Amino acid sequence: MALDRSAGRLARCIKCTRHDRILPIRTFTTSAASRLEVQETQTSSDAPPPPATADAPKPKLRDPNTVSTRAAEQQLIQHQRITPVGSRRRRAAIASTSNIPFSELPYQCFQEARALLQADRKEKLEVIRAQRERIERLKAKDVAPQDEAHKEKRLVDMRRKLEEQKILADINDPVVKRKFEDGEGDLTKPIYRLLADRQWRSYRRTLLLQRITQMNVVPDVLPAIDSVISTTLSFAGKRVQHGDFVDSLMSEQAPIMQIQPYDKGKRLYTVVVVNPDVPNVEKDAFDYRCHFLASNIEISPIDTRVHLGRLSEESQVILPWLPAYGQKGAPYQRMSIFVLEQPKSDDPSSGSSHQTLDVAAVKETGRYTQRHGFNLRSFVDKHLLKPVGVDLFRTQWDEGTAAVMQRAGIIGWDVEFKRKRVEPLPYRRMDSVRYR
Amino acid sequence: MATLACLESALSSLRITNKPAASLPRITLRNASHQAQGRANKAKQGPGKRLGAKKTGGEYVIPGNIIFKQRGTLWFAGDNCFMGRDHTIHAGVPGYVRYYRDPARHPTRKFIGIVFQKDQSLPQPTHAARRRHLGLLAYQMPEPVVEAEIEEPLGSGLTSYQPPSAPRQPTTINLKPTTNNPQGLQLTLRPGYQYRQSNYEIGRSAERKEAAAQAKGKTTRAYNDYKPGDRFAAWRKSALRIARNNERKAMGRGNKGAKAKK
Repeated sequence: MALDRSAGRLARCIKCTRHDRILPIRTFTTSAASRLEVQETQTSSDAPPPPATADAPKPKLRDPNTVSTRAAEQQLIQHQRITPVGSRRRRAAIASTSNIPFSELPYQCFQEARALLQADRKEKLEVIRAQRERIERLKAKDVAPQDEAHKEKRLVDMRRKLEEQKILADINDPVVKRKFEDGEGDLTKPIYRLLADRQWRSYRRTLLLQRITQMNVVPDVLPAIDSVISTTLSFAGKRVQHGDFVDSLMSEQAPIMQIQPYDKGKRLYTVVVVNPDVPNVEKDAFDYRCHFLASNIEISPIDTRVHLGRLSEESQVILPWLPAYGQKGAPYQRMSIFVLEQPKSDDPSSGSSHQTLDVAAVKETGRYTQRHGFNLRSFVDKHLLKPVGVDLFRTQWDEGTAAVMQRAGIIGWDVEFKRKRVEPLPYRRMDSVRYR
Repeated sequence: MATLACLESALSSLRITNKPAASLPRITLRNASHQAQGRANKAKQGPGKRLGAKKTGGEYVIPGNIIFKQRGTLWFAGDNCFMGRDHTIHAGVPGYVRYYRDPARHPTRKFIGIVFQKDQSLPQPTHAARRRHLGLLAYQMPEPVVEAEIEEPLGSGLTSYQPPSAPRQPTTINLKPTTNNPQGLQLTLRPGYQYRQSNYEIGRSAERKEAAAQAKGKTTRAYNDYKPGDRFAAWRKSALRIARNNERKAMGRGNKGAKAKK
């Protein structure tokens, strides 16, 4: 009896797919190519099925576009090593209908709504065209020098309205929505950037700000931050969530960051990694240490990947990557990563729209080349940088920290911190009767 | 006569007789002593619990000192203080007590906090770096934790990450194939000084045996045509299993009986 009960549990364990395959991470601009690649390689290398007997059941071949039950999905993943395409509802709809394109589905209300939305889109396109013409006319207009500022302000407002109209033209399009949800959105287009920004803000930004606030990164390192850029961090090929503890051996090499802005254009960023938890025994307080400082990193909505260990030494890196370490007995070290936007360039003749930070000058001045006691508030104010993104990971003493510190040439790998003894308060001793 | 009997029975319920009537209500009992014996006013008359402030504002405290005893949270634990399970506010660091309000933290709450110097006050200025207390001393470690093997770092290849601790060298025992384990068993030395298979191997043994049997064209399953959701098939399967078990038990009992007789 007990054997049969456990056999049921074993059967369930055999069905578990967590260890068989890692789901591909879906980014904004990846198409279904990775899935197809997997399908091709797997179908070629499938082992021949066991010899067909009366007893052994043959697994049915399933179509990734039409599986809709959980059991069928599991079979598809286990036996054919393919992930299903799209959402379950979509797959059920495709399975139950003939292969009609979405825009030709024979539902009267749906088609009427589609017609209405298309008419609305036509109106919006007309508004966009008219607004573009107005902008051109205003730009071409000659105004007196004292009215230049007013003209610029009007142009800014008109461009903002144009962007809004562009969004409104596409926001009701179900094909746009489907493309975005399938990860095929083109982030050079404003509608996909808006949808991506909305998705980020709905959960992951809230989570990030919660972690930053609860870990007190924000008042300790910088006074305040309005995060408008999403970041992802990975060490040694492994993704690190905001606030995770990272093993010292993994953080020995510089990480890879994906910095995703949600407004158009290329711009230059500065990335700083600051540790605000360096123990200072003399002051009985904590110091700051800068583990990485690099400027002039060009990022755009479609070009988001930056390997912090592969930047140019002459023109980008001010302080190269120092491995994160927490000495024994010290509390965990918060390694905060700030993404700072470099100011816009004043002269329109220069190539890029943002100023380059003169790395050589900063190194020569020497004020911000000291790692210990690095003041990020002063650095941000001096170079007119704007904090736009933040990330966090933590580190503490573990088995590999001493070796990491030795290899990096950091003194103090054999230092242990222990709690200071606090002198007890003097209490007046009462009668012995009271202590019975 | 019959009609008289009927009339008699009809009238009998209306007659006032000496018989004890079942329909009379039971007389309720009342005790002489009053309900004030219970809990009406007693809660207010117990001994005083010595609540309130034990350390006033500005007093020097050390970690663990009780600052305020209360029922519920009249005061909340602010900077460097913590609240015990009965809402007692304790000191977390050595310093001076401050009683304050912090509208940025909560519009109406009152807080008890601790500052490190007498000239400091609470609440701390908004957006300023927090004042923090280290409370540690640095010592030289007696034995170095890691032998100074200055190895080559991991290199730029991000895929060459090794786990921090070196893997244990396992001792393995290989058992010969038996009827129960036709492929033989491999037992490794596990934590706790046991020689046993790993859990995942145990979990997968049924699957492996079935795969091995199928490779030979046989099966280990008693009932092979089972489909999930088919209750009739499930009943047939369990009936078959029960019959086999009973057969096995009967055989065993027969052997034991034979031995006992001997």
